[in-house]
Amino acid sequence: MTGLQRHLGFGLLVVVGFAALPLVITERYMLGEIIVFFIWAMVAMNWNVLMGHAGVFSLAQLLFFACGAYGVAMSVTFLELSVWQAIPLAATFSAGAALLVGMACLRLTGAYVALLTYAIAATVHILIITETECFTLIRNNCQQLFGGSTGFSRFDDFGFRPLLRGNWVLGHYYVVLAAFALTIVAVVVIIHGRLGLAFRAIRDNVGYASSRGIDRKTYQVAAFAITAFLTGLAGGVYAAHFRFAGPSLFEFSTLMFVLAMVVVGGLGSTWGPLVGTGVILIVVEVSKEMGDARNLILGLALILFVMFLPKGLADGADRLMRKMTGRARRGTEEKPPQET
Amino acid sequence: MDIPIQILVTGLTMGSMYALAAVGLSLIFGTLGMFNMAHGMFMTVGAYVVFSLASSLGLPMIGAVLVAMLTGALVGILTHLLIVRFMLTGTDFTTNVIVATAGLAILMEDVTLKMFGGYPYQQTVGVSGTFRIGGVVVSLQSLVILVVAMVCIGAVAWLLLKTRFGRAIRATAMNRDAARLMGVRTNTVFLQVMALAGALAGVAGLMISTVATLSPQMGGDPLLKAFVICVVAGLGNVWGAGVCAFGLALLEAAIGFYFGVRFGFPAMLILVIAVLIWRPQGLFGKEKVVRL
Repeated sequence: MTGLQRHLGFGLLVVVGFAALPLVITERYMLGEIIVFFIWAMVAMNWNVLMGHAGVFSLAQLLFFACGAYGVAMSVTFLELSVWQAIPLAATFSAGAALLVGMACLRLTGAYVALLTYAIAATVHILIITETECFTLIRNNCQQLFGGSTGFSRFDDFGFRPLLRGNWVLGHYYVVLAAFALTIVAVVVIIHGRLGLAFRAIRDNVGYASSRGIDRKTYQVAAFAITAFLTGLAGGVYAAHFRFAGPSLFEFSTLMFVLAMVVVGGLGSTWGPLVGTGVILIVVEVSKEMGDARNLILGLALILFVMFLPKGLADGADRLMRKMTGRARRGTEEKPPQET
Repeated sequence: MDIPIQILVTGLTMGSMYALAAVGLSLIFGTLGMFNMAHGMFMTVGAYVVFSLASSLGLPMIGAVLVAMLTGALVGILTHLLIVRFMLTGTDFTTNVIVATAGLAILMEDVTLKMFGGYPYQQTVGVSGTFRIGGVVVSLQSLVILVVAMVCIGAVAWLLLKTRFGRAIRATAMNRDAARLMGVRTNTVFLQVMALAGALAGVAGLMISTVATLSPQMGGDPLLKAFVICVVAGLGNVWGAGVCAFGLALLEAAIGFYFGVRFGFPAMLILVIAVLIWRPQGLFGKEKVVRL
């Protein structure tokens, strides 16, 4: 069995497991929490593909998430599309935005990319929260074109409420699970396919990769657009599930929240971000009960993990396993030369 | 004639604050190869410490500047000793340190919020009074900001160019290994650079708080501008950062005046991206020839 088949099999197991979960868990609150897990896990897995595998340190991932959410919110509110049409539209829009940002930023490398993507996301954030002019009136409330500082809320969702009555959350659960499954398949196929190989070749040695005909910019822009499509999809289902899209979706603390999931889970792994998302969500949930220490804990987690376990829990578990079983598999850890 | 003067005054005031932030940021990047996402919090902490000291003891302007410098330097030193020092030799330092300092930024912001609350306080030190240039009313505080920034940046320039200490910093920035072989204690140099950049950030924070208000997020916006300034100047180019700070601040003031304040920064960013497409190494950066 190849690595691709093995990981796809594992992905199938994960999805089937989650599909069966509502048989055991019926509380609406818990199901809601799992939906939140699906959504952030999608964002985290894509960020891992981009940062951990393609080696592009983008801080605009949450901007593309917001593109998806705003795309759904705006097309439902202004164009009166149904959510089902709006989600693919918004994801495509998100990929288009990423293509533009990517082509502008990826002429540069390394820290420059991080800074520029961060600056672009922050600029859009500032432009949106400072917007005050009313575009239309909705329920006698001023509605700005991009939602201003409050954003969009209370637009139409998937439409399960009249259909499933009290069990509407189950409808949401399976729709988001479907998007989650799609992301898993896409991410696994990318990481363990030829594309992932090309990404890692560029990350590890740009010169060698380009001498074998793998152009850095083309592949990195592709990575940017593909992951933005899936991140935008996550944003779309987020907006449709919560009936909300606003600037809080891509403010700095949300960025750190998702970055912590990726870093704690393990950059460059396949399943690490899934674990990271779960861990961070549980930690944040617990921190709510002990006063609001969310940002404090996130900051501390980021610093400590980068200092002591830069490859995250995935690598930590790996090393522990190796030590326990006593297998001496040395020399597999190749260290790439620093990027130029 | 009044409008250009107004723009010039606004631009120079903002430029002074940006320059203080950007020069420190650039100095750290040039020497340590580290992008300090917590630089904005260095500014915020400087401003808050002056605020709490000044409201209980009362401080003259000079004293306030010194306190801000000391606080900033202390924060810089602690950041180096507690976090950066351990990461310098690790792999992927550039990206890892961005993550770590971003974590530090959000941690410090949360602590500030817990200690002082989100209430936008007014900075207690500052000079009041105005004078006129032509038909334009200029506050004395703007003049103070310009003078303080000029003195600080002049002092840094003197330190870097004329002293042994500065020569060690420049040597380390040029080639870390060669400097070490020549007997430069690079670890001490890193510590000094963090202290120096921290001190500049502290002053920047104080200056910003005298014209705006204090809030835990106050460092975010100037940091963003300092980022863009450093990128357009070429990362690590200290002189370029100083020049670009004033250039971009003037541009921002002009666009803010003619098209509305909210478009000042976006226009700046678009210009920067255009510049980078033309010169990816930045305006003042030297083209690097990379051997693979």
